[in-house]
Amino acid sequence: MAGTELEILKGITLEIKSGEAVAIVGASGSGKSTLLGLLAGLDEASGGRVVIGETDLGELDEDGRALFRGRHVGFVFQSFQLLPALTALENVMLPLELQGLAKAREQAQVFLERVGLGPRMHHYPRQMSGGEQQRVAIARAFASRPSILFADEPTGNLDTHTGAHIIDLLFELNREEGTTLVLVTHDDKLAERCERRLVLEAGELISCQ
Amino acid sequence: MLARDWRGGELGVLLMALVLAVGVVSGISAFATRLQNALTQESHRFLAADLVARSSRALPGEWLQRAEAQGVSQALTLVFPSMVFAGDERMQLVSVKAVSDGYPLRGELTYSEQPFGPVLPAARGPAPGQVWLESRLFPLLDVAVGERITIGEADFTVAAAARTEPDQAASFSGYGPRVLMHYDDIPATGVVQPGSRVQYRQLYAAPPQVLQNFRDWLEPQLEDGQGLLDVSEGQPGIGSALRRAERFLLLAGSLGVVLAGVAIALAARRFSERHTDYVAIMKSLGATSARVNRLYGSSLLLLGVVATALGCLLGWSIQALFFTLFAEQMPVQPGASGPGPYAVGAATSLTCLLCFAWPPLRRLGLASPLRVLRRDLPHENRRTLGDYLVGLVAISLLMWWYSADWQLTLAVLAGLAITALLGLGLALTLLRGGRLVGMSAGSIWRLALAGLQRRGSANAMQVVIFAMAIMLLLVLVLVRTSLIDAWQTQLPEGTPNHFMINIGPQDVQPVDQMLRSQDIPSEALYPMIRGRIMAVNGEQLPRTDDPEAQRRQRETNFTWSDSLPPGNRLVAGQWWPPQTDAALVSVEREFAERMGIQVGDRVGFLVGAQPLEAQVANLRELDWQSMRPNFFLIFPPRLLADYPATFMTSFYLGPDDKPFLNRFIREFPTVTVIEMDVVVEQIRSIVSQVSSAIELVLAVILAAGGLVLIAGVQASVDARMHESAILRALGARRGLVLGGLFIEFAALGLFAGLLATAGAELSVYFLQEWVMDMRYAPSPWIWPLGIGAGMALIGSLGVFSCRKVVSSPPVALLRDL
Repeated sequence: MAGTELEILKGITLEIKSGEAVAIVGASGSGKSTLLGLLAGLDEASGGRVVIGETDLGELDEDGRALFRGRHVGFVFQSFQLLPALTALENVMLPLELQGLAKAREQAQVFLERVGLGPRMHHYPRQMSGGEQQRVAIARAFASRPSILFADEPTGNLDTHTGAHIIDLLFELNREEGTTLVLVTHDDKLAERCERRLVLEAGELISCQ
Repeated sequence: MLARDWRGGELGVLLMALVLAVGVVSGISAFATRLQNALTQESHRFLAADLVARSSRALPGEWLQRAEAQGVSQALTLVFPSMVFAGDERMQLVSVKAVSDGYPLRGELTYSEQPFGPVLPAARGPAPGQVWLESRLFPLLDVAVGERITIGEADFTVAAAARTEPDQAASFSGYGPRVLMHYDDIPATGVVQPGSRVQYRQLYAAPPQVLQNFRDWLEPQLEDGQGLLDVSEGQPGIGSALRRAERFLLLAGSLGVVLAGVAIALAARRFSERHTDYVAIMKSLGATSARVNRLYGSSLLLLGVVATALGCLLGWSIQALFFTLFAEQMPVQPGASGPGPYAVGAATSLTCLLCFAWPPLRRLGLASPLRVLRRDLPHENRRTLGDYLVGLVAISLLMWWYSADWQLTLAVLAGLAITALLGLGLALTLLRGGRLVGMSAGSIWRLALAGLQRRGSANAMQVVIFAMAIMLLLVLVLVRTSLIDAWQTQLPEGTPNHFMINIGPQDVQPVDQMLRSQDIPSEALYPMIRGRIMAVNGEQLPRTDDPEAQRRQRETNFTWSDSLPPGNRLVAGQWWPPQTDAALVSVEREFAERMGIQVGDRVGFLVGAQPLEAQVANLRELDWQSMRPNFFLIFPPRLLADYPATFMTSFYLGPDDKPFLNRFIREFPTVTVIEMDVVVEQIRSIVSQVSSAIELVLAVILAAGGLVLIAGVQASVDARMHESAILRALGARRGLVLGGLFIEFAALGLFAGLLATAGAELSVYFLQEWVMDMRYAPSPWIWPLGIGAGMALIGSLGVFSCRKVVSSPPVALLRDL
């Protein structure tokens, strides 16, 4: 990066194995979210490479990355990011429909049952509590059976008790589905449940255990 | 997915804007079309036909056969002055009108069974052998219904009292009270001889296309002395009033199109801003740009179809409502407007969608999926210069198509462009300056002015949008006001509605006294001398055999005066000094043009048998519709002192004072009274109808303008709510937050009002000078109105839209936004 541009991440090299659960931790502004955006193909790196499986994300354009995300990546966000105009079921169906899956509805229903929201699948996000909305988001993330799941502060907007439930759910589904999990958090308890912790400080990777 | 998106209510905002746009445009268009139909029909009543052929000699019967063959209905009238005799010694000069069976083809003929009795509609005129007399002829001739009178060599039975004819105005030659008879009885009377002062008319009526075909055939057949009359020529006063009204309606409609476009653009932008986050989510879940574009494209298409359908329905209701409100004032039932206006509405909808709604939505596909992690990323859907250009071109074409008048379009566009350019520059400068002032002011002001400056360019844009909306409304208010003023001054209450001619010099004093003693408002008594122009600069005028041309040359009214009569304007040369002995003449401008006369020319006249030569001192313009005595030629008094003169005047007589005419005619049997009261009343009623139509259209456009203001305020509400919520969270009092918001919006309104007023004055100048055929006069009162309305409206709309900020807990607002 040149000139007055801000260099957010500096020389980070890391490898995450298939099926692994990794936590990225660090203080606010340390570059966690930027790293997550790059790893998930939401953002374009100004230098360096991100390779997922056989695919070099840098070689894809935005539409190519969108297709890649749809097929291989799932997301859980701090602020849930459900579409307010859609019901819980429709929110979960959305990525499946985008992939053109024939049995989108059935599959979405299965996953909503699995997060315990079977009876509420026709409710709109605004009719649900934060914990319930996040469960919908988790169902949506797993419903498309991604090979890698990114979670950005999944408990950040939830109280401790609800947060713990969500974490349990997340890891339970992760284990059952055999998904690779990449978590951004500054919740130590959450980080401890992962197999590895990557500690970022001012854009540098200072620990990788 | 479309249906689901629908439920979010976001599309609803855009839909409302579109429906209103289509509704307003098609509603006004349909209303204008129907109104035009009605007014045209109404003015056809003045001719009692759609088209009239007239001549002082009998018109070819072949024309009637041709009309018959082409499916054009026809009727005949003949008007001539004659003496009517009753009993042994009672006689009266009357204006006889002979009508055929079909008369009138348009409008209504009325009669009453007894003089001054209840007025009844008549299916047809008098039967052969019968006559109808005007009410006041009964006492003059001392006859009753059922008795006999004589015209020329034929006797007739008085069957009824004639009350009104639709084409009373058109047959101006009606000196004296009216007698109606059947056309077939003319030969029996033997009064109509070659060379008599008569006017023959053939009346035609047919649907427009049929009539046009017939007219195309008829026009080449016309010989000298034969002329055609249609609505525009039949009544110049009404013709110009109608043309101006039509221009106004088109202007209003065009402004409606512009306002609609702006409202849609604003709504689409807000829609796309709100949807950027959703698109980011969809993209993070694997949606490509093409997919997003397809989604929003098809949403927009469906929206367009639904909005057009609903809008046309709304438009239909608007015009139906207008006509319900209007029904009592409408003398004729207007025909349906046809599908035209709704096509205009649909085209407006399509254009607005493509040029205003689609550009920001198209860029939704470019939204970065990274927004799911970072919501503070800038929107990708800012409009580019290209978008504005496309919008401008689209609006111009729509306006031009809608008004079919490039001058009108240009005048409005020029005003808009200058408002926009000045606006952006001025708003940016002033908003920056405002910050400096604000720094030293109290906290509420600092807050407001800092807010204005922080969103400098967005605010400048908003000022321009407000200014354009207010400008368009001011333009409409200004044009409407001057239009209605012009009409009202043309024929104000108490306009003279009777003329008196042939007043002998010995009768001048007594007539004047009689008018005064009855408190009848009258114009001065003007001397009148009949003479003709013989030569210009020594060159004899060509004499033709055409009786019309001969008559025009032979019979011109002269008068004399020491001063320029009221209502006349000098356009060239100078008025003569009082008591001058010089041989001068003042000529009416159009008459001078027709005769090829200029200031300084020497013109030869023949008055009676005596020649007279005078030099043209000046040219005058005058208003022929003023119902005052008007003259083509005016001489200095001393020049005409030795020539025989009669006098004339005009005066106002209310409907209840009509019997005065009988007393007057008994007293002065030689004086001829020309009754124009019915004509004046008809013109006034049309003008008042057109005026109320204009008021209604103005109200609708005002509503559309209000919508744009609301949409404009709404566009910035999110950002302002967010900041205000933070202020509330920090403990700001309710008054501080609302006060700050009010000042912020009112300041925008102030700038907008200022710009709008300047732009409006400019546009109105162009419109009146170029398009409306009117004189421009600056309207100082519009400045406080424009600025005051801008501040008050936008300030209170802003506070109203943001009111939630002080009534809900800040945390709820911050989470929602």
